Amino acid sequence: MIPDWKLERFLTGDLPDEEMNMLRELEATDVVFASRVKMLREDNKAILNKLPFETLAGKLADVPETADVLETANVANSAEHANAARIAPRFTLMKFAAAAMLIFAVALIAFMVQRETVVAGGNAAGNSDDVAAVNGSQITQVAFAETQSDTRIKGLDARMEVWKKTDTGIVQLQDLDEVREGDEIQLRYAVPEKCFGLLFSMDGNGALTLHMGDGVKAIELTPGKMNSLPFAYKLDDAPYFEKFFFVTSPREFAVEENDVDKLLKRSDVKVIGFTLKKAGK
Amino acid sequence: MVYRRCLQLLQDDAEASDLMQDVFLRIYSATERLDLESPSSLLWNTATRLCLNRIRDKRRRGLDVDSSSLLLNIACAEDECDDYETKSKLAKFFSKEPESSRTMAVLHFVDGMTLEETAREVGLSVSGVRKRLRGLQAKVKTLEVK
Repeated sequence: MIPDWKLERFLTGDLPDEEMNMLRELEATDVVFASRVKMLREDNKAILNKLPFETLAGKLADVPETADVLETANVANSAEHANAARIAPRFTLMKFAAAAMLIFAVALIAFMVQRETVVAGGNAAGNSDDVAAVNGSQITQVAFAETQSDTRIKGLDARMEVWKKTDTGIVQLQDLDEVREGDEIQLRYAVPEKCFGLLFSMDGNGALTLHMGDGVKAIELTPGKMNSLPFAYKLDDAPYFEKFFFVTSPREFAVEENDVDKLLKRSDVKVIGFTLKKAGK
Repeated sequence: MVYRRCLQLLQDDAEASDLMQDVFLRIYSATERLDLESPSSLLWNTATRLCLNRIRDKRRRGLDVDSSSLLLNIACAEDECDDYETKSKLAKFFSKEPESSRTMAVLHFVDGMTLEETAREVGLSVSGVRKRLRGLQAKVKTLEVK
Protein backbone atom coordinates (compact mmCIF):
# COMPACT_ATOMS: atom_id res chain seq x y z
CA MET A 1 0.00 0.00 0.00
CA ILE A 2 1.46 3.30 -1.06
CA PRO A 3 1.12 5.74 1.86
CA ASP A 4 -0.73 9.01 1.36
CA TRP A 5 2.35 11.16 1.74
CA LYS A 6 4.10 9.29 -1.04
CA LEU A 7 1.05 9.52 -3.23
CA GLU A 8 1.01 13.28 -2.72
CA ARG A 9 4.64 13.46 -3.75
CA PHE A 10 3.85 11.40 -6.79
CA LEU A 11 1.13 13.84 -7.77
CA THR A 12 3.50 16.77 -7.51
CA GLY A 13 6.26 14.89 -9.30
CA ASP A 14 8.53 15.38 -6.32
CA LEU A 15 9.90 11.91 -5.79
CA PRO A 16 13.24 10.47 -6.88
CA ASP A 17 13.19 9.37 -10.52
CA GLU A 18 13.27 5.71 -9.62
CA GLU A 19 10.21 5.98 -7.39
CA MET A 20 8.39 8.16 -9.90
CA ASN A 21 8.91 5.57 -12.59
CA MET A 22 7.82 2.78 -10.30
CA LEU A 23 4.60 4.58 -9.38
CA ARG A 24 3.88 5.53 -12.97
CA GLU A 25 4.12 1.89 -13.86
CA LEU A 26 1.92 1.01 -10.93
CA GLU A 27 -0.66 3.55 -12.05
CA ALA A 28 -0.73 1.94 -15.47
CA THR A 29 -1.09 -1.57 -14.16
CA ASP A 30 -2.83 -1.42 -10.80
CA VAL A 31 -6.49 -0.48 -10.96
CA VAL A 32 -6.75 0.29 -7.26
CA PHE A 33 -3.74 2.56 -7.24
CA ALA A 34 -4.89 4.24 -10.46
CA SER A 35 -8.23 4.87 -8.80
CA ARG A 36 -6.58 6.50 -5.78
CA VAL A 37 -4.53 8.73 -8.05
CA LYS A 38 -7.60 9.67 -10.05
CA MET A 39 -9.55 10.52 -6.90
CA LEU A 40 -6.79 12.76 -5.63
CA ARG A 41 -6.52 14.54 -8.94
CA GLU A 42 -10.25 15.16 -8.93
CA ASP A 43 -9.97 16.33 -5.34
CA ASN A 44 -7.23 18.76 -6.40
CA LYS A 45 -9.58 20.26 -8.95
CA ALA A 46 -12.38 20.50 -6.43
CA ILE A 47 -10.10 22.21 -3.90
CA LEU A 48 -8.89 24.70 -6.48
CA ASN A 49 -12.48 25.43 -7.45
CA LYS A 50 -13.45 25.89 -3.85
CA LEU A 51 -10.35 27.83 -2.85
CA PRO A 52 -9.18 29.58 -6.02
CA PHE A 53 -5.79 31.15 -5.78
CA GLU A 54 -7.26 34.61 -6.42
CA THR A 55 -9.10 34.38 -3.13
CA LEU A 56 -6.02 33.23 -1.34
CA ALA A 57 -3.85 35.89 -2.95
CA GLY A 58 -6.39 38.53 -2.00
CA LYS A 59 -6.35 37.42 1.59
CA LEU A 60 -2.58 37.33 1.65
CA ALA A 61 -2.53 40.93 0.55
CA ASP A 62 -4.44 41.86 3.68
CA VAL A 63 -2.22 39.95 6.05
CA PRO A 64 0.28 41.96 8.09
CA GLU A 65 3.95 41.38 7.66
CA THR A 66 4.90 38.34 9.65
CA ALA A 67 8.54 37.90 8.86
CA ASP A 68 9.56 38.81 12.40
CA VAL A 69 7.13 36.30 13.77
CA LEU A 70 8.87 33.61 11.82
CA GLU A 71 11.85 33.89 14.08
CA THR A 72 9.72 32.39 16.78
CA ALA A 73 7.80 30.08 14.57
CA ASN A 74 7.58 27.33 17.10
CA VAL A 75 5.60 29.23 19.66
CA ALA A 76 1.93 28.55 19.96
CA ASN A 77 -0.38 30.20 17.50
CA SER A 78 -1.86 32.46 20.10
CA ALA A 79 1.50 34.03 20.70
CA GLU A 80 2.10 34.27 16.98
CA HIS A 81 -1.16 36.02 16.41
CA ALA A 82 -0.46 38.42 19.21
CA ASN A 83 2.89 39.32 17.71
CA ALA A 84 1.44 39.64 14.23
CA ALA A 85 -1.22 41.98 15.46
CA ARG A 86 1.41 44.32 16.83
CA ILE A 87 3.19 44.59 13.57
CA ALA A 88 1.85 47.28 11.30
CA PRO A 89 0.68 46.15 7.90
CA ARG A 90 3.67 46.31 5.64
CA PHE A 91 2.68 43.79 3.07
CA THR A 92 3.83 45.50 -0.04
CA LEU A 93 2.49 44.99 -3.49
CA MET A 94 5.74 43.43 -4.55
CA LYS A 95 5.58 40.92 -1.77
CA PHE A 96 2.00 40.19 -2.60
CA ALA A 97 3.01 39.56 -6.17
CA ALA A 98 5.77 37.25 -5.07
CA ALA A 99 3.41 35.39 -2.78
CA ALA A 100 0.94 34.95 -5.57
CA MET A 101 3.75 33.78 -7.80
CA LEU A 102 4.61 31.16 -5.29
CA ILE A 103 1.05 29.98 -5.18
CA PHE A 104 1.01 29.92 -8.92
CA ALA A 105 4.07 27.77 -8.89
CA VAL A 106 2.55 25.34 -6.46
CA ALA A 107 -0.69 25.21 -8.40
CA LEU A 108 1.34 24.70 -11.48
CA ILE A 109 3.11 21.72 -10.00
CA ALA A 110 -0.25 20.24 -9.07
CA PHE A 111 -1.53 20.74 -12.55
CA MET A 112 1.58 19.51 -14.25
CA VAL A 113 0.83 15.96 -13.41
CA GLN A 114 -2.83 16.17 -14.25
CA ARG A 115 -2.30 16.45 -17.92
CA GLU A 116 0.36 15.25 -20.20
CA THR A 117 2.77 18.02 -20.86
CA VAL A 118 2.67 19.25 -24.38
CA VAL A 119 5.68 20.80 -25.93
CA ALA A 120 5.37 22.82 -29.04
CA GLY A 121 8.46 21.48 -30.69
CA GLY A 122 10.67 22.88 -33.35
CA ASN A 123 12.33 26.21 -33.39
CA ALA A 124 9.45 28.31 -32.20
CA ALA A 125 11.20 31.56 -32.79
CA GLY A 126 12.09 30.58 -36.28
CA ASN A 127 8.71 29.21 -37.31
CA SER A 128 7.54 31.02 -40.37
CA ASP A 129 3.94 29.82 -40.51
CA ASP A 130 1.43 32.62 -40.18
CA VAL A 131 -0.71 30.69 -37.75
CA ALA A 132 0.49 27.63 -35.92
CA ALA A 133 -1.79 25.71 -33.62
CA VAL A 134 -0.02 24.97 -30.39
CA ASN A 135 -1.88 23.01 -27.81
CA GLY A 136 -5.10 24.78 -28.52
CA SER A 137 -3.42 28.14 -28.53
CA GLN A 138 -2.21 29.91 -31.56
CA ILE A 139 1.01 31.56 -32.44
CA THR A 140 0.08 34.35 -34.80
CA GLN A 141 2.17 36.68 -36.81
CA VAL A 142 1.18 40.19 -35.88
CA ALA A 143 2.51 43.63 -36.20
CA PHE A 144 4.44 43.72 -32.99
CA ALA A 145 7.69 43.74 -34.86
CA GLU A 146 7.40 47.48 -35.04
CA THR A 147 7.85 47.62 -31.30
CA GLN A 148 11.47 46.67 -31.87
CA SER A 149 13.54 49.45 -30.48
CA ASP A 150 17.11 50.35 -29.95
CA THR A 151 16.65 50.27 -26.22
CA ARG A 152 19.88 49.22 -24.62
CA ILE A 153 20.01 47.06 -21.58
CA LYS A 154 20.39 48.76 -18.26
CA GLY A 155 21.89 46.85 -15.40
CA LEU A 156 23.29 43.36 -15.51
CA ASP A 157 20.21 41.19 -15.54
CA ALA A 158 18.37 39.62 -18.41
CA ARG A 159 14.94 41.11 -18.96
CA MET A 160 11.65 40.00 -20.37
CA GLU A 161 8.73 42.18 -21.32
CA VAL A 162 5.20 41.05 -22.01
CA TRP A 163 2.93 43.10 -24.22
CA LYS A 164 -0.68 42.73 -25.25
CA LYS A 165 -2.32 43.74 -28.46
CA THR A 166 -5.40 45.91 -28.03
CA ASP A 167 -7.85 47.55 -30.40
CA THR A 168 -5.91 50.75 -30.22
CA GLY A 169 -2.38 49.44 -30.18
CA ILE A 170 -0.27 47.58 -27.70
CA VAL A 171 0.18 47.88 -23.97
CA GLN A 172 2.92 46.58 -21.77
CA LEU A 173 1.65 44.20 -19.13
CA GLN A 174 2.81 43.98 -15.56
CA ASP A 175 3.33 40.82 -13.59
CA LEU A 176 -0.01 39.38 -12.43
CA ASP A 177 -2.05 41.48 -14.85
CA GLU A 178 -5.28 39.92 -15.98
CA VAL A 179 -5.74 38.59 -19.49
CA ARG A 180 -8.44 36.74 -21.36
CA GLU A 181 -8.75 33.90 -23.80
CA GLY A 182 -7.95 35.18 -27.25
CA ASP A 183 -5.61 37.95 -26.11
CA GLU A 184 -2.52 38.19 -28.23
CA ILE A 185 0.65 38.34 -26.23
CA GLN A 186 4.00 39.50 -27.50
CA LEU A 187 7.19 38.64 -25.69
CA ARG A 188 10.39 40.68 -25.73
CA TYR A 189 13.70 39.97 -24.11
CA ALA A 190 17.21 41.24 -23.71
CA VAL A 191 20.35 39.82 -22.18
CA PRO A 192 23.35 41.71 -20.81
CA GLU A 193 25.93 39.29 -22.10
CA LYS A 194 26.33 36.42 -24.49
CA CYS A 195 24.49 33.41 -23.14
CA PHE A 196 22.04 30.66 -23.96
CA GLY A 197 18.34 31.24 -23.51
CA LEU A 198 14.99 29.54 -23.67
CA LEU A 199 11.56 31.09 -23.38
CA PHE A 200 8.54 29.00 -22.61
CA SER A 201 5.24 29.23 -20.81
CA MET A 202 3.05 27.01 -18.71
CA ASP A 203 -0.70 27.40 -18.51
CA GLY A 204 -3.23 26.44 -15.87
CA ASN A 205 -3.70 23.08 -17.51
CA GLY A 206 -0.05 22.28 -17.08
CA ALA A 207 0.63 22.57 -20.79
CA LEU A 208 4.09 23.73 -21.72
CA THR A 209 4.62 25.86 -24.80
CA LEU A 210 7.99 26.81 -26.19
CA HIS A 211 8.22 30.32 -27.57
CA MET A 212 11.91 30.58 -28.23
CA GLY A 213 14.40 27.80 -28.52
CA ASP A 214 15.73 25.14 -30.79
CA GLY A 215 13.17 22.54 -29.92
CA VAL A 216 13.71 22.03 -26.23
CA LYS A 217 17.27 23.34 -26.41
CA ALA A 218 18.31 26.86 -25.52
CA ILE A 219 19.62 29.02 -28.31
CA GLU A 220 22.55 31.38 -28.21
CA LEU A 221 21.61 34.95 -27.41
CA THR A 222 23.62 38.05 -28.05
CA PRO A 223 23.60 41.08 -25.79
CA GLY A 224 22.16 44.34 -26.92
CA LYS A 225 18.77 45.78 -27.62
CA MET A 226 15.39 44.37 -26.74
CA ASN A 227 14.34 41.64 -29.12
CA SER A 228 10.73 40.86 -29.97
CA LEU A 229 9.84 37.33 -30.84
CA PRO A 230 8.63 37.17 -34.43
CA PHE A 231 5.26 35.80 -33.40
CA ALA A 232 2.65 36.79 -30.90
CA TYR A 233 1.01 34.16 -28.73
CA LYS A 234 -2.75 33.87 -28.69
CA LEU A 235 -4.02 32.68 -25.35
CA ASP A 236 -6.28 29.68 -25.30
CA ASP A 237 -8.99 28.77 -22.79
CA ALA A 238 -6.63 27.28 -20.20
CA PRO A 239 -7.76 28.35 -16.73
CA TYR A 240 -6.13 30.27 -13.89
CA PHE A 241 -2.92 31.56 -15.36
CA GLU A 242 -0.27 31.66 -18.04
CA LYS A 243 3.22 31.84 -16.68
CA PHE A 244 6.19 32.73 -18.85
CA PHE A 245 9.73 31.66 -18.06
CA PHE A 246 12.80 33.26 -19.58
CA VAL A 247 15.71 31.03 -18.66
CA THR A 248 19.31 31.93 -19.39
CA SER A 249 22.63 30.32 -18.68
CA PRO A 250 26.23 30.77 -19.76
CA ARG A 251 26.14 27.11 -20.77
CA GLU A 252 23.97 25.18 -23.18
CA PHE A 253 20.90 23.59 -21.67
CA ALA A 254 17.53 22.14 -22.54
CA VAL A 255 14.20 21.78 -20.83
CA GLU A 256 12.73 18.37 -20.19
CA GLU A 257 9.08 18.49 -21.10
CA ASN A 258 8.10 16.39 -18.11
CA ASP A 259 10.40 17.98 -15.60
CA VAL A 260 10.48 21.74 -15.92
CA ASP A 261 11.20 22.01 -12.24
CA LYS A 262 14.52 20.28 -12.70
CA LEU A 263 15.68 23.03 -15.03
CA LEU A 264 14.37 25.82 -12.83
CA LYS A 265 16.23 24.43 -9.83
CA ARG A 266 19.59 24.33 -11.55
CA SER A 267 22.14 26.62 -9.99
CA ASP A 268 23.67 27.64 -13.30
CA VAL A 269 20.50 29.10 -14.79
CA LYS A 270 18.78 32.38 -14.19
CA VAL A 271 15.02 32.42 -14.39
CA ILE A 272 12.74 35.34 -15.00
CA GLY A 273 9.11 34.53 -14.39
CA PHE A 274 6.10 36.51 -15.49
CA THR A 275 2.59 35.48 -14.62
CA LEU A 276 -0.66 36.54 -16.19
CA LYS A 277 -3.92 35.78 -14.46
CA LYS A 278 -6.74 34.45 -16.55
CA ALA A 279 -9.89 36.51 -16.08
CA GLY A 280 -12.96 34.65 -14.97
CA LYS A 281 -11.16 31.36 -14.61
CA MET B 1 -1.84 18.60 -0.95
CA VAL B 2 -1.50 21.32 1.67
CA TYR B 3 -5.23 21.64 2.21
CA ARG B 4 -5.63 17.88 2.46
CA ARG B 5 -2.78 17.69 4.95
CA CYS B 6 -4.30 20.39 7.13
CA LEU B 7 -7.71 18.77 6.93
CA GLN B 8 -6.26 15.39 7.86
CA LEU B 9 -4.62 16.75 11.00
CA LEU B 10 -7.21 19.32 12.06
CA GLN B 11 -10.39 17.54 10.99
CA ASP B 12 -12.01 20.89 10.37
CA ASP B 13 -12.68 22.36 6.96
CA ALA B 14 -12.57 26.03 7.97
CA GLU B 15 -9.42 25.62 10.01
CA ALA B 16 -7.77 23.67 7.23
CA SER B 17 -8.49 26.49 4.77
CA ASP B 18 -7.12 28.99 7.25
CA LEU B 19 -3.96 27.02 7.97
CA MET B 20 -3.38 26.40 4.30
CA GLN B 21 -3.07 30.14 3.80
CA ASP B 22 -0.67 30.34 6.72
CA VAL B 23 1.49 27.69 5.15
CA PHE B 24 1.91 29.63 1.93
CA LEU B 25 2.47 32.87 3.76
CA ARG B 26 5.13 31.36 6.00
CA ILE B 27 6.93 29.82 3.09
CA TYR B 28 6.81 33.01 1.13
CA SER B 29 8.01 35.07 4.07
CA ALA B 30 10.98 32.81 4.64
CA THR B 31 11.92 32.34 1.01
CA GLU B 32 15.51 33.39 1.52
CA ARG B 33 16.03 30.70 4.11
CA LEU B 34 14.17 27.97 2.35
CA ASP B 35 15.63 24.68 1.43
CA LEU B 36 13.90 24.27 -1.91
CA GLU B 37 15.39 20.92 -2.74
CA SER B 38 12.06 19.27 -2.13
CA PRO B 39 9.10 21.66 -2.28
CA SER B 40 6.63 18.94 -1.43
CA SER B 41 8.47 18.10 1.76
CA LEU B 42 8.62 21.76 2.61
CA LEU B 43 4.89 22.19 2.17
CA TRP B 44 4.06 18.96 3.96
CA ASN B 45 6.31 19.62 6.94
CA THR B 46 5.27 23.23 7.22
CA ALA B 47 1.63 22.26 7.22
CA THR B 48 2.37 19.60 9.83
CA ARG B 49 4.20 22.01 12.08
CA LEU B 50 1.54 24.69 11.90
CA CYS B 51 -1.24 22.20 12.47
CA LEU B 52 0.55 20.86 15.54
CA ASN B 53 0.87 24.40 16.85
CA ARG B 54 -2.81 24.99 16.23
CA ILE B 55 -3.81 21.79 17.99
CA ARG B 56 -1.59 22.56 20.96
CA ASP B 57 -2.88 26.10 21.16
CA LYS B 58 -6.48 24.97 21.14
CA ARG B 59 -5.76 22.43 23.82
CA ARG B 60 -4.11 25.02 26.02
CA ARG B 61 -7.12 27.25 25.66
CA GLY B 62 -9.32 24.42 26.73
CA LEU B 63 -11.07 24.17 23.38
CA ASP B 64 -12.31 20.94 21.93
CA VAL B 65 -9.83 19.26 19.65
CA ASP B 66 -11.09 16.72 17.20
CA SER B 67 -7.81 14.89 16.79
CA SER B 68 -6.66 11.41 17.62
CA SER B 69 -5.16 10.97 21.04
CA LEU B 70 -1.83 10.08 19.47
CA LEU B 71 -1.74 13.31 17.50
CA LEU B 72 -2.91 15.24 20.50
CA ASN B 73 -0.17 13.78 22.65
CA ILE B 74 2.47 14.58 20.09
CA ALA B 75 1.17 18.09 19.57
CA CYS B 76 1.18 18.83 23.27
CA ALA B 77 4.47 17.14 24.06
CA GLU B 78 7.23 19.34 25.37
CA ASP B 79 9.91 19.51 22.74
CA GLU B 80 13.20 20.68 24.14
CA CYS B 81 14.39 21.59 20.70
CA ASP B 82 11.33 23.76 20.17
CA ASP B 83 11.80 25.47 23.49
CA TYR B 84 15.46 26.09 22.94
CA GLU B 85 14.87 27.52 19.50
CA THR B 86 12.07 29.70 20.69
CA LYS B 87 13.90 31.11 23.69
CA SER B 88 17.10 31.80 21.86
CA LYS B 89 15.32 33.00 18.77
CA LEU B 90 17.65 30.92 16.73
CA ALA B 91 14.88 29.21 14.91
CA LYS B 92 15.53 29.21 11.25
CA PHE B 93 12.14 28.37 10.01
CA PHE B 94 12.15 26.11 6.99
CA SER B 95 15.89 26.23 6.80
CA LYS B 96 18.17 23.24 6.90
CA GLU B 97 17.94 23.28 10.65
CA PRO B 98 16.37 20.03 11.87
CA GLU B 99 12.62 19.90 12.02
CA SER B 100 11.07 19.80 15.44
CA SER B 101 10.83 16.44 17.13
CA ARG B 102 7.07 16.77 17.12
CA THR B 103 6.99 17.05 13.35
CA MET B 104 9.26 14.04 13.07
CA ALA B 105 6.95 12.16 15.39
CA VAL B 106 3.97 12.85 13.16
CA LEU B 107 5.88 11.81 10.06
CA HIS B 108 6.92 8.56 11.70
CA PHE B 109 3.97 7.64 13.88
CA VAL B 110 1.05 9.17 12.02
CA ASP B 111 2.18 9.16 8.40
CA GLY B 112 3.89 5.81 8.74
CA MET B 113 7.24 6.87 7.37
CA THR B 114 10.09 4.57 8.27
CA LEU B 115 12.96 6.01 10.25
CA GLU B 116 14.96 6.14 7.03
CA GLU B 117 12.22 8.02 5.23
CA THR B 118 11.74 10.37 8.15
CA ALA B 119 15.48 11.00 8.27
CA ARG B 120 15.55 11.77 4.58
CA GLU B 121 12.53 14.00 4.97
CA VAL B 122 14.06 16.17 7.66
CA GLY B 123 17.67 16.00 6.60
CA LEU B 124 18.99 14.16 9.63
CA SER B 125 20.72 10.84 10.08
CA VAL B 126 18.62 7.85 11.07
CA SER B 127 20.34 7.75 14.44
CA GLY B 128 19.67 11.45 14.85
CA VAL B 129 15.98 10.97 14.20
CA ARG B 130 15.85 7.97 16.53
CA LYS B 131 17.52 9.99 19.27
CA ARG B 132 15.13 12.89 18.82
CA LEU B 133 12.10 10.62 18.80
CA ARG B 134 13.28 8.82 21.92
CA GLY B 135 13.65 12.17 23.61
CA LEU B 136 10.06 12.92 22.78
CA GLN B 137 9.01 9.40 23.61
CA ALA B 138 9.69 9.97 27.27
CA LYS B 139 7.01 12.62 27.23
CA VAL B 140 4.56 10.67 25.12
CA LYS B 141 4.32 7.29 26.71
CA THR B 142 2.29 5.76 23.92
CA LEU B 143 5.04 6.11 21.37
CA GLU B 144 7.32 3.27 20.44
CA VAL B 145 10.27 4.05 18.24
CA LYS B 146 10.70 1.16 15.84
